Amino acid sequence: MTRLAWWLIRAQFLSRRSATALSMLAIALGVSLGYAIHLINAAALADFAHAMKSVQGEPDAIIAPRDSAGHVPRALIDEIARDESVALVAPVIETRVRLGRDSTAVRLIGIDVFSAAVLMPSLLPRDGAPASGGILDGGLYASPTLLDNLGLKVGAGATVIRGESRWETPIAGDLPALAAGEALLVADIAWVQAHFGPHAGVGELRVRLMPGSRAEAWRAAWAKRLPPGLDIRAAADNAARIANISRAYRVNLNVLALVALLTGAFLVFATQLTAVAQRSTQFALLGVLGLPPRMRLLQVLFEGVAIGLPGSALGLTLGYALAVMFTRVIGGDLGGGFFAASTPTIVPELLPGLGFLILGCGASLMGALYPAWLNRIQPLAQALKTGFAQRPPGDAPRTLHGRRVMLLAIVAVIPVLTRLPAIDDLPLAGYAAIALVLVLGIAAAPVATRLAFGAMARTTLPAPLRIAVQNVLQAPLMAQVAASGLIVSFALTVSMVTMVASFRTALDQWLDTVLPAPHYLRSKGLPLPRELLAALELPGTPFVRVERMATGSLSLDPRRPPVALLVRELDRADPGARLPFSGPVLTTPNGEITVWVSEAMQEVHGLRTGQTLHLPLLGRDIEVVVGGVWRDYARQFGAIAISATDYRELGGRFEVTDLALWPHPGSEDAARRWLAAEAARHGIESAESADIRRLSLSIFDKSFAVTYALEAAAMLIGLFGLAVTLAASVWLRARELATLSALGFDRAMLARAVVFEGALIALVGLALGLASGIAVGAILTHVVNPQAFHWRMPLHVPWTQVLPIALATLLAGMLASRFAARQATALPAAHVLAGAQ
Amino acid sequence: MLSVVGLGKRHSGALRPLFSELRLAVGSGEVVALVGESGVGKSTLLNCIAGLEQADSGEIRIGPDALDMHRLDETARAALRAARIGFVFQAFHVLPTLTVAQNIAVPLLLNRAPPAEHGERVESLLRRVGLAGFGPRWPALLSGGELQRVAIARALVHRPALILADEPTGNLDPRTADEVLALLLERVREQQAGALIVTHSRHVAECCDRILTLTPDGLECAHPAGPSQGGRSHHPEPHGGEPTSPPALGRGLGGRVVQ
Repeated sequence: MTRLAWWLIRAQFLSRRSATALSMLAIALGVSLGYAIHLINAAALADFAHAMKSVQGEPDAIIAPRDSAGHVPRALIDEIARDESVALVAPVIETRVRLGRDSTAVRLIGIDVFSAAVLMPSLLPRDGAPASGGILDGGLYASPTLLDNLGLKVGAGATVIRGESRWETPIAGDLPALAAGEALLVADIAWVQAHFGPHAGVGELRVRLMPGSRAEAWRAAWAKRLPPGLDIRAAADNAARIANISRAYRVNLNVLALVALLTGAFLVFATQLTAVAQRSTQFALLGVLGLPPRMRLLQVLFEGVAIGLPGSALGLTLGYALAVMFTRVIGGDLGGGFFAASTPTIVPELLPGLGFLILGCGASLMGALYPAWLNRIQPLAQALKTGFAQRPPGDAPRTLHGRRVMLLAIVAVIPVLTRLPAIDDLPLAGYAAIALVLVLGIAAAPVATRLAFGAMARTTLPAPLRIAVQNVLQAPLMAQVAASGLIVSFALTVSMVTMVASFRTALDQWLDTVLPAPHYLRSKGLPLPRELLAALELPGTPFVRVERMATGSLSLDPRRPPVALLVRELDRADPGARLPFSGPVLTTPNGEITVWVSEAMQEVHGLRTGQTLHLPLLGRDIEVVVGGVWRDYARQFGAIAISATDYRELGGRFEVTDLALWPHPGSEDAARRWLAAEAARHGIESAESADIRRLSLSIFDKSFAVTYALEAAAMLIGLFGLAVTLAASVWLRARELATLSALGFDRAMLARAVVFEGALIALVGLALGLASGIAVGAILTHVVNPQAFHWRMPLHVPWTQVLPIALATLLAGMLASRFAARQATALPAAHVLAGAQ
Repeated sequence: MLSVVGLGKRHSGALRPLFSELRLAVGSGEVVALVGESGVGKSTLLNCIAGLEQADSGEIRIGPDALDMHRLDETARAALRAARIGFVFQAFHVLPTLTVAQNIAVPLLLNRAPPAEHGERVESLLRRVGLAGFGPRWPALLSGGELQRVAIARALVHRPALILADEPTGNLDPRTADEVLALLLERVREQQAGALIVTHSRHVAECCDRILTLTPDGLECAHPAGPSQGGRSHHPEPHGGEPTSPPALGRGLGGRVVQ
C-alpha cells in the first residue's frame, strides 16, 4: 500500500511539476518569513538581554527616578544601606556624553568600583596606562568596541562633553570583560557626579539582598516607602520592558508570515483540488479495485504533506539565510528602530525550527483537507463513468437560507469585534474581524454572482457569453475556488495598499504641522551648549524666530517603555499652532499645569481631554490637566508635551536639546552657513525641514517595502489559483465543450466562452476583493494600528493605485483563461467525444 | 464463485424497483453473459455485486467462504473487492501515470502480496496475455487492444474468484475484440474463476457458457446455441439463473473450443 501511495505521489508531482513547485515555494515563503522573524528577534533579544546583564549585573532590586531629570537622593541611599536585609548597594550614574568633536552620543557609566566588583564585574576597568593613575584618580575607561569605533588609544587624552560641562581626562584603560559590540565609557561615580551631576544624589541604585531574603516582598515593602519620583523594580522588569518594545511589531510581522503561510495553504488547496478532480477516474478505479475509502482520503493528505515537508524544510533554510542577511543589512530590529546598532549572531534553533516545520506541514495538510474529503466521498461507479462529481451525495449542500443566516451572523459580529479592546496589548479581536471579513467575502460570492449576472442571463446574449454566464451562475466548485483565491489575494493587496497609503498621507500631513520651521538643530538628547544658545540671542544672527525644546523621559509603568517628555516653548493659549491635535483642545486657567498628551498615551493609559493626571515630575507627584490629545508618529510609546513656562514654574531646568529656527526673509543662505558652522563647531546635527521630511518618508517607504513584496506574491498566488482552477474546470468540461464544438461552435467561439467565463469570475472576485479589502484596510487603520502601535490616522483609499491593480488583475485573469481555453480547444472534439461513454 | 439471492434495488424517488428478488449464481470456471436493454439495470446489478452500490435487499456471496457483500461496511467491501474480484471495463481504465507492470501490480499491492512475488507474477501474466516485455512501457504508447490485455492481466493477477467485465470489447474493432475475448475466457477458465460479462454484443454473449437476460420482470436464462447455430434457446427463469452443473463448456470462437 505504501508503495502504491509513493507511486501515485511521484506520478502526481511529475505530471504537475509547476503547480507542485509553486505550492512548495508558497509554503516555504510563509515558513521562512516566520522562522526568520523568530530567529532575528530571539537573537536580538538575547543579545540585548546579555548586554543589559553585563552592564546592569544581577541585582535583586533597582531603584531609579521616574523622571529622566530626577535622581535618587543621598539620604535614601543611606537609609537603604542600613536596611538589615541589604547586603550591598551599588550607586550608579549613567549619562550620555560626547567625546571631543565627535557628534556620537556615548553612554558614560559612573560606578563605585568596590560595589561594582561584586554586582557588575563586567564593568570593572583594566588599567592600561600606568602614568594616568587609576579609576579613583579620575581615569576614564573605554570599552574595546568604543576604542575601535572612535580610533582612540589607551593613554590618550579625552574631552568628555555634556552641555556646558567639559571634563579633560586621560583614557586610563579599557573594559576587558564587556562583550563585543558594547560602546561605553566607565569612570568613578564621584568624578562623573562632580562633572555632570546630579549633585544631590545618584542616577540609580542597584541593591543585592542578604542570602535567604525574599526579594519580591522586600521590593513591595520599599515601593510603599519610596518618594513619588522614584520606582523600584526587579532586574527582570527591564528585560520585559525591552521585549515589550518590539512586541507589537513582531506580532504584526508574524501575522504577515501567517498570511503568507495561509496563501500557501490556499495554493495547496487549489492544486490538490484540481489534482483530485483530474484524477477522479483514476481514484475511482483504484476504489473499484479495492483501495479502501480511508486510503483515498489519506493519499491526498499524504500528497499535501509531501508538498508541505520539502516546502517547510526549504523554508527553514531560507529563513535562516534571510535572518542572517537581514541582521547584516538592516540590523536586529528588522527596520523597526528598536534596538539600534545591534547586529546579533543568528543561531538556528532546533525546537522552534521543528515548530515551524510542523506549522508548514500543517498549513499544507489543511489545504489538502477538503480535496481529500471530496476524494473520499466520490461515488465510485459514477466517477469511473462521468468523472469528478463537484457536489457528491455525501457533501451536505448548504441551503440558501442557511448561507444567508451565516452571512448575517458574520455581518453582525464584525462591528462588535472591532470595538473590543486589545488583549494584552495585542489587537486579537481586530485580527479575528479581518479573518471574518475575508470569510464573508468568500461566502458572499455565490449571492453576488446571482445578483450581478442573474438579470444578465435573462437577456439576449451572444452564444459564447451566454455559455459563460450560465456556467458562472451555476457556480460550480471550481468557479467558487477560483473566485475565492482572487477575493482573498485582492482583498489583502487592497487592504495593505489602503493602510500604507492612509499612513503615508497622514504622516505627510503630520510632518507639515510638526516641522513648521525651515531649519532644525539637534543634539541627540544631550543639552545644547549654552554658548550656542547665547549666540542666537545676539543681534545680527540671520534668524527672525527661534523656538527651543528640551526632551526627557518619564517612567509611568516599570514594565512599559518610558514615555517622552517634551518641554516646549508653546503659547498656552494656542498650543494647536505647534501640536497637531486630533480632538478638542481645552483652555485651562493660569495656575493649572496643563500637558498635552500624544495619541499613544491616550491609547495606553486611557486618557481623555480634561482629565487630571499625576505625573512623577522632578521627583514629585504633580497633578496636571490633560489639555488635549495630539497626533505623534515619532514616539510609539507616548509623549507628553508641557510648556516651558509651566516646567520652569515647577522648578525644572530647561536644558535645551532641540531648536527650530526661522531665517529672516532673504537671509536663507546666510542662515544655512551660520548653522553649518555652528553644527561643525559643537558636533551637533543641523537639518532642513525638507531633508527631515524626505528622510522620514524614505524610512517609512523602506519599512513598508516588505509589504509590497507580499502584495505582489499574494496577487501572483491569486492569479495562479485562477489559472489552475479555471484550467481544471475547463478540463472537467472537455466533453461539454466538445459537444458544443460538434454543434457548431468554432474554436474561437469556444475560446471566447472560456475567456468570458474567466473574466466574469475575475470580476466577481475583484469586486468582492475590493469591498473586503477596503473593510480590512479600515480595520487595520482604525483598530489594529491604534491598538498595536498606538497610531491613529484617517482612512485614505488610494484609488489611483487600486484601480490599475484591479484592471491589471482582470487582464491577467483573462490571459490565464486564454491559456485554459487553448488547452480546452487543443484536443480534437471528436477525440474527446469518442472518450465519452 | 458468485451467489446472489433475493436481490432487490429501487432508486430513490423511483415508482417501482429496478429489480427485485433476483437470484443468480456463477460457478467456478463458468463464464456468464448478462444482457438486456439499456436502462434495465445491468450496470446497477454489476455495481451491487461489486459492492459499489448498496442493494435494498438480498444476499451477495463471492468466493469459497461466502461473505455477504451486502452486509459489509464500505471498507470491508473494498477489501473484499480487492481480494475476490477482478474488473475489466469497456474504457480499459489503465492508470496513465503508472507503467504497464505497475498497473498490473496494483491488485497485488492492495492485497499486500509479498513484494518478492510481484515481478514474477506480473511477468508471467504479461506473457500469458501476449505482452511479454511490455512491463516498463507507459500506457499512452499502447493500442486499445493492448490496453485491454493489460486490464485483463490486472484483473487476474491476484487470482480472484470472480471477474466482472462491463462491455470488455465495446471499444475494440471486431478482430481485436475476438482476440481479447478469447484471451479473457481462456484465462478465466484456466484460473477456475467465475466471470460475469455485461454486454450488448450477441457475439460476445454467445461465446459464454450461459446467457442471463435482465428484463423488468427479472432474469431469464439461456444457453447459447453457438455461432454456427445462429440462435439460442430461451428458458424463462424469473428468479434468476443457477449454474449448470457441470458447467457447460463455452462455445468456441470461430469453432474453437476453449477449455
